Amino acid sequence: MSLFFQQVLNGLTLGSVYSLVALGLTLVYGILHIPNFSHGALFMAGAYAAFFASTALGANYWVALVFAAVVTAGIAVLSERLVFSRLRDKPPLHDMIAAIGLLLLIEAIAQAIWGADFHRLREPYPGIWQWLRINAGLVMPIQRGIIIAGAVVLMIALHLFLTRTTTGATIIAMAQNREGASLVGIDLTRVSMITFAISGALAAVAAVLFVPISLIFPAMGNLVILKAFVIIILGGMGSVPGAILGGMVIGLVESFGAFYVSTDMKDVIAFAALVLILSLRPEGLFPGYAR
Amino acid sequence: MIGTRRNILAGTAAAALVATTRGAFAQQETVTIGWTGPLSGGAALYGKNTLTGLEMSAKEINDSGGVQIGGKPHKIAVVGLDDKYSPSEAAVNAKRLRAQYKAPVVFCPHSGGNFAMQAFNEQDGFLIGAYTSVPQMTERGNKLTFRIPPSFAGYIDPFIKTTMGSFGKKLGMAGADHDYAKAWAALMKPAWTKAGGTVVAENAMSYNKDTDFYSGVSRVMAGNPDVLFVGGASEPTALVIKQARELGFQGGFMIMDQAKLDEIAHVLGGYQQLEGAMGVLPTVFDPRPGTQEFVGRFRKAYNRDPGSEAAYNYAALNAVSEAMKLAGTTSDAAKILAKLTEAFKSLPPGRNPAHITEVDERGGSNVRLSLAYVKGGKIVPVDAATGNLMN
Repeated sequence: MSLFFQQVLNGLTLGSVYSLVALGLTLVYGILHIPNFSHGALFMAGAYAAFFASTALGANYWVALVFAAVVTAGIAVLSERLVFSRLRDKPPLHDMIAAIGLLLLIEAIAQAIWGADFHRLREPYPGIWQWLRINAGLVMPIQRGIIIAGAVVLMIALHLFLTRTTTGATIIAMAQNREGASLVGIDLTRVSMITFAISGALAAVAAVLFVPISLIFPAMGNLVILKAFVIIILGGMGSVPGAILGGMVIGLVESFGAFYVSTDMKDVIAFAALVLILSLRPEGLFPGYAR
Repeated sequence: MIGTRRNILAGTAAAALVATTRGAFAQQETVTIGWTGPLSGGAALYGKNTLTGLEMSAKEINDSGGVQIGGKPHKIAVVGLDDKYSPSEAAVNAKRLRAQYKAPVVFCPHSGGNFAMQAFNEQDGFLIGAYTSVPQMTERGNKLTFRIPPSFAGYIDPFIKTTMGSFGKKLGMAGADHDYAKAWAALMKPAWTKAGGTVVAENAMSYNKDTDFYSGVSRVMAGNPDVLFVGGASEPTALVIKQARELGFQGGFMIMDQAKLDEIAHVLGGYQQLEGAMGVLPTVFDPRPGTQEFVGRFRKAYNRDPGSEAAYNYAALNAVSEAMKLAGTTSDAAKILAKLTEAFKSLPPGRNPAHITEVDERGGSNVRLSLAYVKGGKIVPVDAATGNLMN
């Protein structure tokens, strides 16, 4: 039984990271109406920003986390200002090509600065959670606990922001109907910038939470972004609860698949689940407020 | 009048131009050596390490005045093209290196790319410098393939002897799912059983697709193994080892040759978690003459430690240039290949840090294998022939 709960914990850890990345992706989808392919590069940029802060500037883990969130939010806003806002009236294909270009650009810049080497961000609290081990026989490295806790806090904060504040309401309004929102006086530019900033910060926080148990390298975003696409399709494009639930579903399916079946079959199971859910609910689990 | 003067001027300029180009041409003819491998994506570091070995060799040869081929000094130029670890792109790159640069040799550090090039290299007339230890590379009868590292089959027995003797008979297979790792696992599993052991769990990690290995590792740990078989690129392998230790694993590791103990220790912050691990001897710990000399020069030139990728590729290009000299040709790939054994024998130890002794008739290299065992937090060299520790 403890093995079962062990897999639940692993699945929640992975799911938390996926959810945070997918949340940013789904919010930006509401604005751009295309999946932002460069979002994976933001995840990577966040990891490198934290790495830079902790090695070159000697910052501690939490300072590095905030630094990474701010820097990456800045990069996201810049990409919105310099690229996506200029393509607003062009066909969606242009956005898509620009997003792929941005992805390659940011990845190449990271490789030019830090090289192709793998880097590590040391765990701020190494070791495992002894209380869980003694009382439940579960092995839970402290960092994995931090990932789950951090993701939950951010999700609640994002939910409150979107539902309880005027700015949050404007984002939702914009996602539901861009023309309508403009007609009632919502500033499209401002909302776009805020949305991109949030998505960048979420990607960076996800990365900084995750890399102490993983590695930093220029292509690290590609793996996660692929899963994030699956998640937002699964959850419903543009849906916030869909991104969270979808992330958890994929995380748990991967974890249980790798344990009970085999790592070979894991992706088969995850994608079979995707096909099944989409054939029953073509609009995803939660048809979002985008449509 | 003006026209005539202009003609004269133009004529002189043209003559001067011809003279200088000719002069330069006579002084330094250039042989271009091709390389195709990953320079972007997850395997970029690995690719770069192999390319660095070739570049260091070319630079040293050129700095010493080039290599004499057919009585004329030749410079060596290395042209590397990114193939993102993809066999099809490797094939396209090889075609281009052959057509555009007339490269007589194309090096490639992955088995997929090498197998792809084997489909046409005999017709196109270029030698493949295959940096892969898959035994099949030279067993398919391709006449223009030079397999640079030794076949990994030689590692299996000493690995088993040491770890089974120290830790026990239950093996957990937590390797990886790329072709190379599968080939390793296919040799390891029957050999372990034959030696009297049992395989209690099998779960290959997917280093290209997985973001996290925790569940995969815990599945192997559920079989309660004494020894774990792991490997792939060093850095993700390090994560697998770390997670196995976190899950309470006390036994030993057999680490396939793609991963390097020193690089793993770098990720883990030391050799502590690697206690009882058996792997390839990292180049910097190889005490044999020649290797230490190479390590010193490499550190000076690149300001970091060389891995075996650099050492093997460095030695390979040294031998290829020497073989071109012995064969008196820069274009006949078959003649170059035929002279490789002689070329390796003629290299001083410092230019052959890989300790390659010969290249057999199929193009496979023979090397005195160097293994390592981590004991008491330190690397101990192991004699591959007997499996005994050399301390």
